[in-house]
Amino acid sequence: MKSVWLAALAAVAFATPTHAQDIVVNHAQGETTLSGVPAKVLVQDWATFDNLNALGIDVAGAPSSNVPGYLADKVPAEYLQLGSLFEPDFEGIAASESDVYFVSARSAEAYGTAKDILPTIDMSLADNSDILGGIKANLVKLGDIFGRQAEAEQLNAALDAKVEEVKAAAADKGNALVIVTNAGNVGVYGPDSRVAWIHNQLGIPSAMADVEDGDHGGDGISMEFILETNPDWLFVVDRDAGTGETAGAAAALLDNELVNQTKAAQEGHIIYLDPQAAYITMHGYQGVMLLLDQVLAGLNA
Amino acid sequence: MRLLILAIVVTLLLAVTSLFVGVSDVSLDALLSTSPQDRPMQVLLISRIPRTLAIILAGSSMAIAGLVMQMVVRNRFVEPSTAGTTESASLGFLVAAVFVPGWPLMGKMLISAGFALAGTALFLRILRAVPLRDVMLVPLVGIMLGGIIGAVTSFFAYRLELLPSLLAWNMGDFSGILRGRYELLWIGLGCGVFAYLAADRFTVAGMGKDFTTNLGLNYQRVMVLGLVIVSMVSATVLVTAGSIPFLGLIIPNLVSLMVGDNMRRTVPWVAVMGAGFVLACDILGRIVRYPYEIPISVVVGVIGSAMFLFLLLRTRRHAS
Repeated sequence: MKSVWLAALAAVAFATPTHAQDIVVNHAQGETTLSGVPAKVLVQDWATFDNLNALGIDVAGAPSSNVPGYLADKVPAEYLQLGSLFEPDFEGIAASESDVYFVSARSAEAYGTAKDILPTIDMSLADNSDILGGIKANLVKLGDIFGRQAEAEQLNAALDAKVEEVKAAAADKGNALVIVTNAGNVGVYGPDSRVAWIHNQLGIPSAMADVEDGDHGGDGISMEFILETNPDWLFVVDRDAGTGETAGAAAALLDNELVNQTKAAQEGHIIYLDPQAAYITMHGYQGVMLLLDQVLAGLNA
Repeated sequence: MRLLILAIVVTLLLAVTSLFVGVSDVSLDALLSTSPQDRPMQVLLISRIPRTLAIILAGSSMAIAGLVMQMVVRNRFVEPSTAGTTESASLGFLVAAVFVPGWPLMGKMLISAGFALAGTALFLRILRAVPLRDVMLVPLVGIMLGGIIGAVTSFFAYRLELLPSLLAWNMGDFSGILRGRYELLWIGLGCGVFAYLAADRFTVAGMGKDFTTNLGLNYQRVMVLGLVIVSMVSATVLVTAGSIPFLGLIIPNLVSLMVGDNMRRTVPWVAVMGAGFVLACDILGRIVRYPYEIPISVVVGVIGSAMFLFLLLRTRRHAS
């Protein structure tokens, strides 16, 4: 008991004379204190890179692999390569003497090790049911850290406006199924998946009463499944991207006698989403804006 | 003979069941009460019959490939996936997908088969250098070789950002099979028939090189014929449905326990039981999480590894 009081006293004693520029950040795995606005920034996750880039903040280090195409020209030519999306290069991170390090989703486990090396912040979203809200909260958080509150507000307003625009376009246009294709196999994405916002935030109803969650490749389905759910719209995440056949692979797979009988195929309502924005970044501002634009263009076509 | 007929009947029943299991409503009633242009008949023709045929063809040809391989290598625990053949076929398919993405599936399959052939030949070459006192050493060498080839494949797939595609190729799955997307598997049937015609030669070859030569057979030629059959089957099944683990191992062993080792007698058994086993597994995979599907390689993997352990422990008990 005594020690608890002592600890509390010590906490108060140390907390009061805080430097004016200290920034305390609450995040998914606790609280991190930054001494002033970070200058050298590392990210282990493309969504956070995307968000920082949208706010106009330069990043010194990022993953060495899986650079999403739409971000490719935004990655500095010479940057510190931090390992894969899942496995950070801790030695390089330690040697870089950076001010802050962001992990998220795939790299969230690195937090335990990284927090002892340098101030680390986990930007993971709490759950997939409110991805757009999560993006906005992350932008606000980053805006606070880097003193870019105005920019964050602007971006969030633009996102809200875009969502409203898509919602209006989607109203009364019928239901949809979000599927992912991968080397000849098809999976369906549900309401807890990384593209759940198409259903629960744009208001496009799912063509299936209850799609169970399939977070990675989706739940395996047959062409008959698509025929029977008969969606008005089909949103397709083509994971084969990069095979040289890129967009063609999913299209060729879905061009068959069963899918061609669905309403979506007959009306030309099959929309191919940017697979990297949807699959790799998942919750980056620019990625989602790109996807929203693709949905909008498809709906209005 | 009577038993074989029974096995055929059971497999046929499974095939008929397979025709009536799926997301769309295809029942005898629906088929009879609607006109032939309606959906039930269409689904039957476009999806169900091709899928059922694909399963039968893949199941029987993979099982026969396993049998031929066991004869050629003279080891009960060898099959395409424990000899580096499947991994080599997969590497070949990756090479085809990268260098000639526009080629028709048939062309890619041939490249894949070429790699499978080379990989299996390499396996046999290595075996010649290894003292083979223990039966378990042969599949162990094969699994190690497969691991090395698989690592090379993974490395290139990783660098080319094709890792998810590679995983999906290697995952056996019949959910994407439709009319026009399984026909390559008929090549597997051709190979199976060939294996049957050459069965006596393989039986003799299974008794060793000296014995074969003494009987006036060209041992080398029989070996090459076996390898070509195994490689073609592995490549066609990999390209159309993905790899199906353990199948070529379990079925020939079960048949050997039941009817012995004369290949002329065992080939029909192996074909029928291979088809029946895969049919049962695929039907299970379609039902367990209806309307979603569990890939065939997962179902066969779970059931197959249990059966493999059973066979292994049984052999040990007999040996002691």
